[in-house]
Amino acid sequence: MRFAITMFSFLAIASIIGTVLKQNEPYNNYIIKFGQFWFEIFEKLGMYNVYQAFWFLLILVFLIISTSLCISRNTPKILKDYKSFQDRVREKSLLSFKHSYQFSLKNFSVKKTISFLKSHNYKVKHKVIEGNGDLIIAKKGDLQKFGYIFTHLAIVIISIGGLLDGNLVFKVQELIGTKQIQLEDQPLSKIPLKGRMSEDNLSYRASILLSEGDTKTAAILRAKEGYLVQEIPFSITLKNFNIKHYSTGQPKSFESELLVTDKKTGETINKTISVNKPLTYKGVTIYQAAFEDGGSQLDLLVWDLNSSQPSFKMNSEIFKNNKLTFENQNLTFEFKDFRKFNILEVGQNEEKKPKPTNVGPNFLYKVRNESGQAKEYQTYQLPILIDGKYFFMSGMRNSPQEEFKYLKIPADDNLSIEGFMVLKSLLNNPQKVQNAINKGINTSAFTNAGKKEAFKLGAKNIINAFVGGGYNSVVDEMDLNIPDQASIADKEKAIKTYINIIYLVSQELVRGYQVKNNEDIVFPIKDASRFIQDALTAYSDSFFYGVPLYLELKEFKEVQASGLQLTKSPGQFWVYLGSILLVLGIFCMIYIQEIRLWIFRKKGSNRLIVSLATNRDRMDFDQYAIEFKDKIKKIT
Amino acid sequence: MLRNIKDKFMNYSFGLMLACLTIIAISKFNNFMDNYELIILIGSAITFTWMGNVWSNFRKLFLYTFLLSFISIYFYKGTLEGIELNFILKYFLSSQSAIMWMTALYPLSLVTYWIYLFSKQDFYGNLATKITWIATMMGFVGLLVRWYESYLIGIDVGHIPVSNLYEVFVLFCLITSLLYLHYEEKLEIKKMGAFVLIIITAAVAFILWYTLEKGANEIQPLVPALQSYWMKIHVPANFIGYGAFAMAAMISVAYLLKDKGIIGSYLPELNVLDEMTYKAISIGFIFFTIATILGAIWAAEAWGGYWSWDPKETWALIVWLNYAAWLHLRLIKGLRGTVLAWWSLGGLVITTFAFLGVNLFLSGLHSYGEL
Repeated sequence: MRFAITMFSFLAIASIIGTVLKQNEPYNNYIIKFGQFWFEIFEKLGMYNVYQAFWFLLILVFLIISTSLCISRNTPKILKDYKSFQDRVREKSLLSFKHSYQFSLKNFSVKKTISFLKSHNYKVKHKVIEGNGDLIIAKKGDLQKFGYIFTHLAIVIISIGGLLDGNLVFKVQELIGTKQIQLEDQPLSKIPLKGRMSEDNLSYRASILLSEGDTKTAAILRAKEGYLVQEIPFSITLKNFNIKHYSTGQPKSFESELLVTDKKTGETINKTISVNKPLTYKGVTIYQAAFEDGGSQLDLLVWDLNSSQPSFKMNSEIFKNNKLTFENQNLTFEFKDFRKFNILEVGQNEEKKPKPTNVGPNFLYKVRNESGQAKEYQTYQLPILIDGKYFFMSGMRNSPQEEFKYLKIPADDNLSIEGFMVLKSLLNNPQKVQNAINKGINTSAFTNAGKKEAFKLGAKNIINAFVGGGYNSVVDEMDLNIPDQASIADKEKAIKTYINIIYLVSQELVRGYQVKNNEDIVFPIKDASRFIQDALTAYSDSFFYGVPLYLELKEFKEVQASGLQLTKSPGQFWVYLGSILLVLGIFCMIYIQEIRLWIFRKKGSNRLIVSLATNRDRMDFDQYAIEFKDKIKKIT
Repeated sequence: MLRNIKDKFMNYSFGLMLACLTIIAISKFNNFMDNYELIILIGSAITFTWMGNVWSNFRKLFLYTFLLSFISIYFYKGTLEGIELNFILKYFLSSQSAIMWMTALYPLSLVTYWIYLFSKQDFYGNLATKITWIATMMGFVGLLVRWYESYLIGIDVGHIPVSNLYEVFVLFCLITSLLYLHYEEKLEIKKMGAFVLIIITAAVAFILWYTLEKGANEIQPLVPALQSYWMKIHVPANFIGYGAFAMAAMISVAYLLKDKGIIGSYLPELNVLDEMTYKAISIGFIFFTIATILGAIWAAEAWGGYWSWDPKETWALIVWLNYAAWLHLRLIKGLRGTVLAWWSLGGLVITTFAFLGVNLFLSGLHSYGEL
């Protein structure tokens, strides 16, 4: 048993490691996390798939063997105890019991005593001992002992069931070399026999990703750093995938309408599955496991944030790439994902706490340059309410390990991005900028004409700096104009002035545009100042946005893909059987009390010896013994 | 003799009442329940009838709880605005108010039990027991009304309130108190209230923090994975396990104090405490085993496998192994005393990690109850 305890402890520790260290991740993630050195060590120890590591399964096997041995050793004794009545007791030993009583009873009747005992659910045996007297032996609750057999047998059965579902067969095949994990992304038909598990594979958990309208005839088994193909006896077609939502915007159900066709007979089954409602067919159970985008179509408008160029269209599709030449660079836009519903904690106007709200669709894409480096973008289609104002959010990051940094473009009163785009075009129009400076300066109190011109030139330089590089360039401009020895306060004052100039010029640009176009709706009248400030900040931030192209999603056609899990689990039956046995066994061991009773009357005397024994001598047994003895006294 | 007749009458009436309620529920809500949920409903009615028969105080609790809950539902008049419009709802019987009363009364009961422990006056003991019963009643009212409120938010949003960390923490307090009150009555010892109420008060403190800091009391609709009748049996069974283990740990605290001679004269005998610990761990163990098995069967239906070595599942196994070892030592090796008391206390740490720590620190399929 000590061996079993040691093994169990190992199992416990290994299991705990498996909870702390994320299991079954793609090997890349581990390399990034631990570095090459530790990654290899952990890999050899099987830490990434602890529960199917060879040594883990070995421990399980040992436990099964040791528990079985325990059972086989103890069962004969238990069975013997169960059958026996322990009738070979002597008077002396009876008296030495912890619960033993002697008293005289005049009208002792063996018959009546036996029926009394039976009425209290005892099993009774009567033995006439020649020359000595009557011995009545009674017992009850002897099922208790079976608790031991049940519980330990249950553990063996459950472990065997678990092993059945462990992929031992594959492990052996891999060792021998008849099966090999595939590493490259290939069309399924090209994968050799070595990388395919047959339909008869006893036990597996494989997955299939199906776009709407798609049909697949085999599933994928993720294994270590690669995968295997799992053949299945039928084909699956995803007729429709549907996500239903609550009124609060959160997902309510994921449903896949499937058409399953038997490969041999052509028999078809139509069924809609959802989470908690799988479909079982030919021994394989199909579960709704996940969902992804299946190749949604996106109609985009591409805006150059740093020029006055108009936008141009780009039509794309998730999982496809678009090529574009921009500023003499050949760029590839790789569209990765589209999500129609996004629940974010979004702020309300007053001090109300942010609640989960559906902010609408977003899409994910990478922009790769000629040297192969890529930046990742996540852009939301609709403006999001933040601190009482609406912003178009587009996140950018240089690598998957980083957090997204967001470009926040303020929405105009129409909740459109037009307002910002108009302003950025105006800023990039030197003629309009000059007009704005002229107009803006004329209203100021400059008396000296020369000073006026110098100021106008200065303002033009400041605006150019801003337009060409955001606020950082403005700081550089300041460094050019202000001597290094100037105090911090002076420098700050200068920056403030520059920012003010940029603001005033922008304001003038806006006014000019509104007068010309008579569209005072485009820019928010109430909060024009806030809008312009946010817009200038966004413009400045655009220089950290990577390639300064903003993709606006105009229209989309969603195509969804459903992630299904296919499971074959022969061990399940045994695990469930073992579980029932386990519960029964625990109940027997804890709640059934075995009590044995001996009543001995010496021949020709009125003296009775009553002795009781129990396997679980608890406090309340003292009382039980005394009470029972008194009851026996009263039998008439 | 007369008492016997009265008891029998009460038992039959109680059974009859539950049968009527069940029939009304089935006829009204048939369309909302699948076959399994019908079975669970009928099974619950039978279970509660039996519990009411063997434990008259439970019967009282049940009656008062349902009475107050129905009154509360009546006051709502079918809309959530009722909370603002009705004084009784706002301050007593709305789900949040009832639960707040519970959070006020449990600490009060803890204090009263300690006064009882040192004063040895029965008055305080009886008072503490009464307060505990009322706190438990308010908690159950809170949960039942919350169940109703969830349907007022939206017909598809409604669900039994055992679906997130907040709700199960309330459930934990209620089940632990019930378990304790049962043993208090059976063994006629009120002194352990001073200890068991400690862990309940700690849970109450967590509930208050969670409500005030994170607004956790807001009702959220069920994610698809939780939309199953299994939630109605797996979760409560688990909490009977957790509650019993928590109670055992608190009794072990009393044991260790007595063993070291700290306030020992006020505490029951060591062998009594030892026995109580064993009883608590036994009942906890059997329910925990059942709960884990139910969880595995549910996992097979929802996730594709009865065991995915998910952190929550794995830690449940660790908890199970821990108490299996404890029981082994006691039943097979006949061990008693200090070692087992420390072990039972340590068991609480492991149980707490499985209950709470996994959600806080580890990720996995079970993250419904994240902070």
